[in-house]
Parts: sequence; C-alpha cells; structure tokens
Amino acid sequence: MTVGEIIFLITIVATLGGAAMAVLSGSIVYAMMGLVTTMFGIAGLYVFLNSPFLSMMQILIYVGAVSVLIAFAVMLIGPLYRKPKEWTTVGKFVAALGVALVSLFMFVRFVMETFGDTLPQGVPLAENPSFEITTKEIGRLFFNNLVLPFELISLLVVVAILGAIMLALFSRGNK
Amino acid sequence: MEQLASIIGWEALKMIVGLIGVLAFVVVNALILTWAERKVAGHMQRRIGPKEVGPYGLIQPIADALKLLGKEILTPRAVDKPLYYAAPMLIFIPVLVSFVVIPFDASLVVKDINVGILVILAFSSLSMFSILMAGWGSNNKYALMGAIRSIAQNIAYEIPILLSLLPVIMMTNSFSLKSIVEAQNGLWFVFYQPLAFCIYFIAGVAETNRTPFDLPEAESELVAGYHTEYSGMRFALFFLAEYTNMFIVSAIAVTFFLGGYQGPFLPGIIWFLLKSYLLVFVIMWLKWTFPRVRFDQLLNISWKALIPLSFINLLITGGLLKL
Repeated sequence: MTVGEIIFLITIVATLGGAAMAVLSGSIVYAMMGLVTTMFGIAGLYVFLNSPFLSMMQILIYVGAVSVLIAFAVMLIGPLYRKPKEWTTVGKFVAALGVALVSLFMFVRFVMETFGDTLPQGVPLAENPSFEITTKEIGRLFFNNLVLPFELISLLVVVAILGAIMLALFSRGNK
Repeated sequence: MEQLASIIGWEALKMIVGLIGVLAFVVVNALILTWAERKVAGHMQRRIGPKEVGPYGLIQPIADALKLLGKEILTPRAVDKPLYYAAPMLIFIPVLVSFVVIPFDASLVVKDINVGILVILAFSSLSMFSILMAGWGSNNKYALMGAIRSIAQNIAYEIPILLSLLPVIMMTNSFSLKSIVEAQNGLWFVFYQPLAFCIYFIAGVAETNRTPFDLPEAESELVAGYHTEYSGMRFALFFLAEYTNMFIVSAIAVTFFLGGYQGPFLPGIIWFLLKSYLLVFVIMWLKWTFPRVRFDQLLNISWKALIPLSFINLLITGGLLKL
C-alpha cells in the first residue's frame, strides 16, 4: 500500500466514523464534533478527486461557518453537560431510514441523469475530459450559463438575512 | 536519505523535512516572543523586564520552558476526558497547516499550493473548535463562558478577514501566496488598499484573542478563560499556539499587503522576518496600551464598522478594476 492509499483510507474512516458519531452520540457536543470530522473527511475526498478549491470551500463553509453557527446555537440552549443518553425510538429510526433511503435514491438518480452518458465504461475519471473542472471554469459557468439560478440563490439569501434581522428586531421590541 | 526517499518518495520526504523545520521554527519563535513580550511590557511600564538569567534575560524563556516541562500535569476529576485531552493537540493543526503555505522566501516554502490562502483561512476555524472543546470539556463555568465568547467573536471577525483579503485576491487573480508576493514587485498593496490592511489587522488581532480583544481569556473576569483547568505542558501548548498565531497573522499581513519577502539589499527571508516581527511588535504595543473592549463594543466594532467598510472597499475595488 502506498502513502496515498493509506491517507485515502484514513479519510474514509474519518468521514464514516464522524458521521456515525454525529448520529449515535448521546451528547450534542460530540455529535457536532462528529459532524466537523465528517466535513473534513469529505474535504479530503475532494482533494483525491483533484479539486482542491472545492475541498477548501467545503472546510471554509461547512466547518468555518455552518458548524460554528451550530456551535453557537448549542451554546445558547443552556447547560446539558451530563444529560442522560436519549435512546432512539423505533419511530425515529424508521423516519431516519426513510430520509436516508430517499436521499440516496435521489443522489443516484442525479448522478445517472447527469453523468450517465458522459461516463464511458473503463475510462478512469482523471482521463475523462468532462471531469477537468477548474476554479476558472466554475466561475465562468456561474456568470454565463447559470447566472439566473445563481442570482436567485443570492436573492433567497438576502430574503433570509432580512427575515432574521426582522425577527431579531421584533423580539427585542417586545421586551 | 536515498533509501528513505525510495520508500516514501521525494515529495513526501520534502514535506516531512519541511514540517520538522516548521516545528522547530514554532518553538523558537514562541521562545523569542515570550521574551520580547516581557521586555516590551516592561519598558512600556517603565520597568526593565527580565534581566537575571543570561545576558538581557535572553535565557529566561528556556528556564520558563523547563519549568513548564517539569510541572505535574493535573487532570481535574470531572472533566470530559476525550474533549479535554484533544483540545490542546487540535489547536496545533491550523498553526502547522498555515506554515506549510506561507512563503518565507522565493524558494523557501514547504509547498506552494494554488489555493494557499484558502488553506490558511479554512483551517483557522479549527482553533475556535479547539477552544470550544477546551471550554466545554473542562466542566468549569469560566472556561465555558470563555468558549462561548470565543465563538461569538469568531463569527463576527471571520467575515471582515475574508472580505479584506478579497480585494488583493481580485487584484492579483490568484489564491497562491507566492504569486501575490510576486505581484507586489512594484508597489506594495498596502498603498493600493490601506483600508483593507487596517481592517485585516484589526480583525486579525481579534482572531488571535489578544488584548484589546482578549475576551475569551479575560484574566480579570474569567480567571484564565478557556484554559483555566489546564496545567503544565498542556497549558504551554495553548500558549505556544497563541504566540504562533500572532506570527501567522503578521505573516499573512506582510504577504498580502507589505510585499512579503521583497526588499532591496538583504535576502528575502530577512526582509520577511523583519516585516513580520515589526507587525508582531505592533500587536504587543496594542496589548500594553489599550484596555480590553466590552463585549458589546467588540461585536459592534465588527458588525457595524469593519464589515460595512470592507464591503464598500470591495465594491470600490471591483469597480476600479473594471474601469
């Protein structure tokens, strides 16, 4: 086994182990740490897929922003340091399984629809020209073909920000 | 050497040698900075600082390090053990990763990655998680309060840091730290982007948790904040990370705004270290002249002043670049 393969295995173990920790852990702080580990694992997998930019963005957004916000929310809900473990009920388990299966199905369908015909059998991904995506091309796509969805997403974010500000202001006024 | 290289490859060997060099630099840098900090503090308060051990007290940090090594490592009974043990180790990951991409000289960089600055910014949020783990795992109210403050501070100051570095990235069209330095061959970016430099420096000092922004470890209110329950070498690791972060913030400021390793006559690395330590001195100067800000002031500085200003700066830069 080469060094690269060992690192690849470590990345996969981190991704899956973190995900398991996030789901199975009884303490919310450990669950959050598991989530962070998974995000790092996914970022590592992006490096193996030859897209360092996406990998860094994954860490910057999901660890640096989303997880920090989750941490902030956890800190706000008060002391639950030695809370007894809540065991999963059957209903929760079934619901989780349902969600997982539906998202897996959607993901597989998405991959088949998008890359089904561009992936000839037996050609390694690295040699396939459709997978040579650089930062420049991502940016160009965003501002050419995909400019409408891109702007719509930013509009959505603006609306969300405005909503958050309004909520914060109104709750302050009521006190 | 040849045999080792044949097993793991030259690239990996270069990385390992580079990392050992980085570790050595981290320790030496922290030793020098503790001495410098005490000297600067002393002279600013009309004292002379350490002078007994060695000439000008230069051996003092080594004596301190030996004292810390010799101390018993206490573990309080009620701590959350995995979090408590992992926190001091985890705080070192962003520090080491940052040094991998910082160019000390034209050829003296462990690895020049084409998304270099993103690596530093992405991993820097890990140090906040380490503070959170330390605060939560210590099972101590002061530690936890320090951790909460640290998160709020991190959310507020991460944004101006990103937004103040973006104009420079837009001007150079590159994320690689080396090409950013090369682009400042003529005029340093601090002359094009004085506002961005000020915003970055203020936010950077806040990110290192130093006075006037040292609320996560405010000694007079929170004992020692998130590292209240740590002793001996574990405390020393937090200490090392703080001093190294100071250097990293200065080094990024030098790379982005002050021309990096470029300068006349002297070799590049000397220029780089001179500029970086000058900024480190400014950070110390701030610490010993300004009182600590209040928490609402801390958040207001970022949300009401730094972020709007950096947005305006970004817009103006983008407009001027297109003209």
